[in-house]
Amino acid sequence: MKVDYRELVHTDRVHGSLLHDPEIFADEMERIFVQGWVFVGHESEVKNGGDWVKRQLGNESVLMVRAESGEVNVLANRCSHRGTALCWEHKGNAAFFQCTYHNWRFGLDGDLRAVPFPDGYSKPKEDLGLDRAGQIAVYRGFVFANLDGLAGTIDEHLGPAGYELIDRLCEMSPSGKIDLSKGWIGHRVQSNWKLWPESDSDGYHVGFVHASMSASTDTYYDDVAVGGDAVKSSRAVDYGRGHLELDWRPSYKKELSWLGITRDRVKEYYSALAQRVGNDLADQMLWDGPPHAFLFPNLFLGETVIAIVEPVSPGEMIHHHTSVQFDGADDAFNERLLRQTEAAVGPASFITTDDAITAERIQAGVSGTDRSWSSTSRGWIDLSRGLHREEINDDGVRSSDASDETTNRGFWYRYLDAMSGKDRH
Amino acid sequence: MISAELRAEVEDFLYREARFADEFSLEEWEALLTDDFHYWVPAGRLEGDPSKQLAYLNDNRARVATRIRQLQTGKRLSQLPNSPMRRVISNIEIEPRNDEGISVVANFVIYELAAQSSGELRVWPGQAQYRLERIAGNLRMSAKWIELVTAHAGQRNLTFLI
Ligand code: FES
Ligand SMILES: [Fe+2]
Repeated sequence: MKVDYRELVHTDRVHGSLLHDPEIFADEMERIFVQGWVFVGHESEVKNGGDWVKRQLGNESVLMVRAESGEVNVLANRCSHRGTALCWEHKGNAAFFQCTYHNWRFGLDGDLRAVPFPDGYSKPKEDLGLDRAGQIAVYRGFVFANLDGLAGTIDEHLGPAGYELIDRLCEMSPSGKIDLSKGWIGHRVQSNWKLWPESDSDGYHVGFVHASMSASTDTYYDDVAVGGDAVKSSRAVDYGRGHLELDWRPSYKKELSWLGITRDRVKEYYSALAQRVGNDLADQMLWDGPPHAFLFPNLFLGETVIAIVEPVSPGEMIHHHTSVQFDGADDAFNERLLRQTEAAVGPASFITTDDAITAERIQAGVSGTDRSWSSTSRGWIDLSRGLHREEINDDGVRSSDASDETTNRGFWYRYLDAMSGKDRH
Repeated sequence: MISAELRAEVEDFLYREARFADEFSLEEWEALLTDDFHYWVPAGRLEGDPSKQLAYLNDNRARVATRIRQLQTGKRLSQLPNSPMRRVISNIEIEPRNDEGISVVANFVIYELAAQSSGELRVWPGQAQYRLERIAGNLRMSAKWIELVTAHAGQRNLTFLI
């Protein structure tokens, strides 16, 4: 039976069945991950011609490949003959992709180059290339793809806020470029994928879920996200189109709070940065830090961490993360970012492990709900916090106290648009 | 050839270390560490310079102390309750080093119950590389490096002492 998403997603509440129903999951893989724009990876992961990485976009395995021409392609990891996966490792370098079943050979652009015993074919080779993303867009190295090619433009998808958030991160690099080639670490969680956009952009839980972190070490989250004053000056922002930020900037009590060290430890980085942007701006950046933001549907800009949300099944997902490395910064600075990432994010970290267990507990809680209950009061998730006090500006940007559910609602507004076909032209 | 006495002493140490970890005897476990202890679980093979890589876990002595403190707060959600777990260690190879230290490699399998959430039984196979030192007559651990069989495949929560 067709799902009516308007019955399941309301302004102040969403239905628990959205987090485990297999039909809904199937709809999402098509409407969000095939018909919409998704983040694929970063150009710095495929620096040289022939470099490729394997990614999962919804149900589809794809290869992000640097062609000899320098162009980045996103190709289906699926032989166009009889469907065999072409690559099974995470990454590599290749002059071409050769299928192991009947040795069809494809170029880095996905074109079919050669088949054994070609006399058996009358079809033109041009008709037998690999499936490829219908649209690709690259912004400051961030590669986005829309598999079916019908999603509208990347400008419509990202909007000014999407670009600004990426800019704010990249501008902190001495060269203006970031590098994401330290590899992705997978955190496997027994929860629905949508609990991660929620957790990554939720300011309400920090003092509770991460209490053990505050109790065992100095953390800047105590200043920006825990307790009355902090959550009043930090802001939960919904820029529209599912792009969200927890804006910590107003709450930082000292410069470099977000890195947990003082200026004398980052002298080299600071002077390299100031050389490009000037001292005033560099000073400001040391205070502000990189953004804590989520770009719909699968990209988390987690300050010095970047994460990809990968759905696996209704109750299973992988949170992949890597460490931001600033191009042009000294090794010691970038190593500091690696150590900071290891402490904060991933299976053995001090922070997102407790988010993971929380997501698994939510999953356990909602898995008994049924979408037929949406006509009753059973099985709802309340998201009304701050609805009466959030502000909306002329550009339609909503913002409220950092502990308010403005960000969570923002995700679901966009979700409803995507799932009810409003995103399509 | 190492002596039977040394082998017995090393095995004794490893089994004790394993039991402290399995039973969350955190203070006892921490007492086995030297001041320069290094704890490392890479997202791949045990090779290259740990400081240049992004790992699952890469703790110096100060960070492992924080890790233990966090478990002791009583608020560590992902270990409330602690995972019931047992590990088996085998294939122990011991090599004395020139600097008086002892290098040990062993295979292990950990069975962990995710009692905090789904109740799933989680299996963690791998190899452990230890570096042991003799301090005031007793063995202590200055490094524990873990290569997981699943290192490239991503992990479930790893919030116990591996
Ligand atoms: S399936 Fe790939 S060549 Fe036949
Ligand atoms: Fe969190």
